[in-house]
Amino acid sequence: MPGFIGKILISLSFFITTLSLMFYFVAAQKDSERHLKVGNWLFAIKGVLILVASGILLDLLITHQFQYYYVFNYTSLDLDLKYLISAFYGGQEGSFLLWILFSWLAGFSLMKWTRAPYKAPVMFFLALTQFFLLTMVLGWKLDGISIGASPFRTIAEEMPNAPFIQANPDFVPADGSGLNDLLKSPWMMIHPPILFLGFASMTIPYAFAMAALWKQKYNEWVAPALPWTLAANLALLIAIFLGAYWAYVTLSFGGYWAWDPVENASLVPWLIGTAGIHAMAIQRKSSVAQKSSLLFAILAYVAIVYETFLTRSGILSDSSVHSFVDLGLYNQLLLFMVIITGVGLGFFAWRYKELPSKPLEPSILNREFMTFSGALLLFILGVVIILGTSSPIIGLLFHENPTPPEISFYNDWSMPIAIVMALITVIGQFVYWKKQNSESLSSSLTLPLLVTSVLTVGSIMWMNVRDIYYMIYLFSGYFAIIGNGWMMVKLAIKNPKVIGGSLTHVGFGMLLVGILYSSAYNEPVLDQNTVNYNNAVLRGEVNDEQGFKVSQTVEMMELKLDEPKLVNGRYEITYEGYDLMNQNRPGQQTYTIKFNDLKTGREFYMYPEVYPMLSGSSAENIQWSVDPDVKAGLLKDIYLYVAGSSFIDQTNKQKAKEQEATTEAVADTEEPLEQTIRMRKGETIEVGGFEFTFTNFIMADSTSMPDNQGVGVRARVEVLHTASQRKHIIEPLFAVYVEDEVSYTKSYPVTIPDYDISFRFSNLNPDDSTVELTIVGLDEKFEDDWILIVGENKPFISVVWLGTFLLMGGFSISIFRHWGRERAKA
Amino acid sequence: MKPKLILGIVAIVGFTSLLMYNFGESISTYTDFETAENMKTAHVPGTWDNTQDYGFSKESMQFTFFMKDEAGNTRKVIYPRPKPNNFEQADRLVVIGELRDDVFYADEMLMKCPSKYNATNPDEYTATSSTQSL
Repeated sequence: MPGFIGKILISLSFFITTLSLMFYFVAAQKDSERHLKVGNWLFAIKGVLILVASGILLDLLITHQFQYYYVFNYTSLDLDLKYLISAFYGGQEGSFLLWILFSWLAGFSLMKWTRAPYKAPVMFFLALTQFFLLTMVLGWKLDGISIGASPFRTIAEEMPNAPFIQANPDFVPADGSGLNDLLKSPWMMIHPPILFLGFASMTIPYAFAMAALWKQKYNEWVAPALPWTLAANLALLIAIFLGAYWAYVTLSFGGYWAWDPVENASLVPWLIGTAGIHAMAIQRKSSVAQKSSLLFAILAYVAIVYETFLTRSGILSDSSVHSFVDLGLYNQLLLFMVIITGVGLGFFAWRYKELPSKPLEPSILNREFMTFSGALLLFILGVVIILGTSSPIIGLLFHENPTPPEISFYNDWSMPIAIVMALITVIGQFVYWKKQNSESLSSSLTLPLLVTSVLTVGSIMWMNVRDIYYMIYLFSGYFAIIGNGWMMVKLAIKNPKVIGGSLTHVGFGMLLVGILYSSAYNEPVLDQNTVNYNNAVLRGEVNDEQGFKVSQTVEMMELKLDEPKLVNGRYEITYEGYDLMNQNRPGQQTYTIKFNDLKTGREFYMYPEVYPMLSGSSAENIQWSVDPDVKAGLLKDIYLYVAGSSFIDQTNKQKAKEQEATTEAVADTEEPLEQTIRMRKGETIEVGGFEFTFTNFIMADSTSMPDNQGVGVRARVEVLHTASQRKHIIEPLFAVYVEDEVSYTKSYPVTIPDYDISFRFSNLNPDDSTVELTIVGLDEKFEDDWILIVGENKPFISVVWLGTFLLMGGFSISIFRHWGRERAKA
Repeated sequence: MKPKLILGIVAIVGFTSLLMYNFGESISTYTDFETAENMKTAHVPGTWDNTQDYGFSKESMQFTFFMKDEAGNTRKVIYPRPKPNNFEQADRLVVIGELRDDVFYADEMLMKCPSKYNATNPDEYTATSSTQSL
């Protein structure tokens, strides 16, 4: 029943949106205040309906109404309240709802603060995008054509042909299938909402640009649109940062950025939006670049819709590590994209002839030219990334079945563009605030250039940078930091309100420097043996058993319990065991790894986790998921996860055994189990209900030797039967004797009759003074406690984050400045 | 035409062709094991052949399994990392790497798991429904 109401509410709000579109259209066309008022009322009512519908969905999620497919598919009984709430946008349907909600809230602020003549057309275009978004969640079936996927559909509607529905149409599952474990993260609560906030607010510059074209007023729109664009960009930036940080610290993607289509989907609108900000800034100041302001404002939103189409239509399903759910919205998404793009660019083309155009000054050393170049470069970078992301479509020009581009495609293009951008930011800032010619510019840049050079040379030596291309890149990055920082200080002394731009550019420079260090100079956590092996592989000196050259290096290492290993010539790392925890994620192991920094003498611990994914595991197979640990530092981070362990191995074997046991229950008690265990002096191991402690070596005197020819040593082992706490001490003998100039070793079994187990001291390793005991008769096999770790030293990730924070800070300062000015006007 | 305009057009055409050329070079096509023989980096989609031995070896630090490509060829695949989390669940694999002497050395591996939406396995529901009726 509540689902039915939800569906009605969404359908109703769809009709009201259509109605409000008509009123807004007339209001915009005739500048009719009356129609605008009605439109606004309809807009407000529509929003309330959606709010109620969202409330119902949330209630269904929290009260576990598993007869609804969305609730069944994304939640389960054991889910915490916070994840029940975030499950709201865990699927496509709910995330569309959230997007509409944010768009509605943005509409309210636009109603309040937008002035004529833009008000009505801006509202029209905002409502137009909501019209399309609402179609995605309608869930109508007309003549066999389905429009949208409703979050309120029931399991019976979803799978009418399933046998259990045929048998019982009112079937309600006892539990849901649960939220994906990877999404059970605090980041899940915050990252998607901010992203959709960014998506929703990026509609506003589009709506303003379209309003300007509609009302043929091409200058005044940038003043109100600028703070909105800045805000949309800030939201996108925060969302990108949260996504990157999430990927880095809790998902084992190995880094913060992978040029994955989903990541690109949020980066490209940000880049084009930033291009728009630059164009708007100079249009506002100097009444130039009207065309590009309009174009970038349109394209930023087109990019959002296009990337939404790419990521949600299922086109990218082969090229992304993220799985996409294809809800059958392909045609609707395509229509949405075609109309937004067609109307936007078509309108622009139609008005193109009458758009004001002022020729740029002939000299290039002025703020208009520099700022415009910056905007153009941002736009070009956006185009390059769109091209790469569109490989499933555009790649068809080259291949029948195109793969995504190699990562180098993105890196090769973005690096030179970034270098030029960085240089332009400084020159641009220096000519932005004061007219300069080449002479005055070079004299004012002398000192910053000097400082930059010193810094670059210093860091090249410190980090041992060999690549000349990297040196140029680093120089440009440092130049952006120093040059813009220089300008920022100068501005801050006079008027701190205007430092937004220069602060952003400092952040950009830091981002460049941080990205290079953290990606090109990371070093895997490996012991010297593995490093040597890898070097031999790289030299082509390693062959496998069949004699073929081995080309793949080893990127992980094994750690045995309490056996320290030296890694990277600096840390002594020791695996100290694991704890099983059941609170947060049942079956989770937290591994304790001690790092002893030999350089500073400091010790620290890392606690990577491994847990069974509930949603993916089945009775016969556990799907393990890893949760890395990051030791963050100012100069570098250590990133580490456990890729395998004896516990996981045994659990998997146990599972397999149980599986076999159920199929063929054959008793296997023919022969007592024989096993060999290696022990160090003082070590205690537990196996099969006993504790064995190897306490000491005892030199055997020759009289006790059975054969007078040799030497012997005994191992003193304390055997504790844990159930009865009875202790036995045994001293098995390991003897070496010489016969006919050949030496033999011999070991003699010692038995404990009470338990029917026997021991032999079967080998001795003088290198690490371990003994090998062969034990017969225990009913459990002892396994070494080991883990496989994959780790990386990532230098200066902190600089990447710091650069991002400065970008955010710069954007925020600019928002306050431009918003304050707008408010003063109103 | 003004020389500036011509210069602009030349720049745009030049940039675009360079970009498209480089883009065309950096993508390749999904292929099978037969044709992968002559490629430096091949993307081969296929399915895991679960009739043969597979597993991670701690000695060689490699995960080895057999994969059947879409043309029906089966080859041994060596992946220098632990077994990925959702390996057994994947209904489709894409291995990216090099084929040498009938062994595919995968540097990268993508797994396509049946999306939740399609993975509505009726058996699971019948199991839950039978407990319901108790």
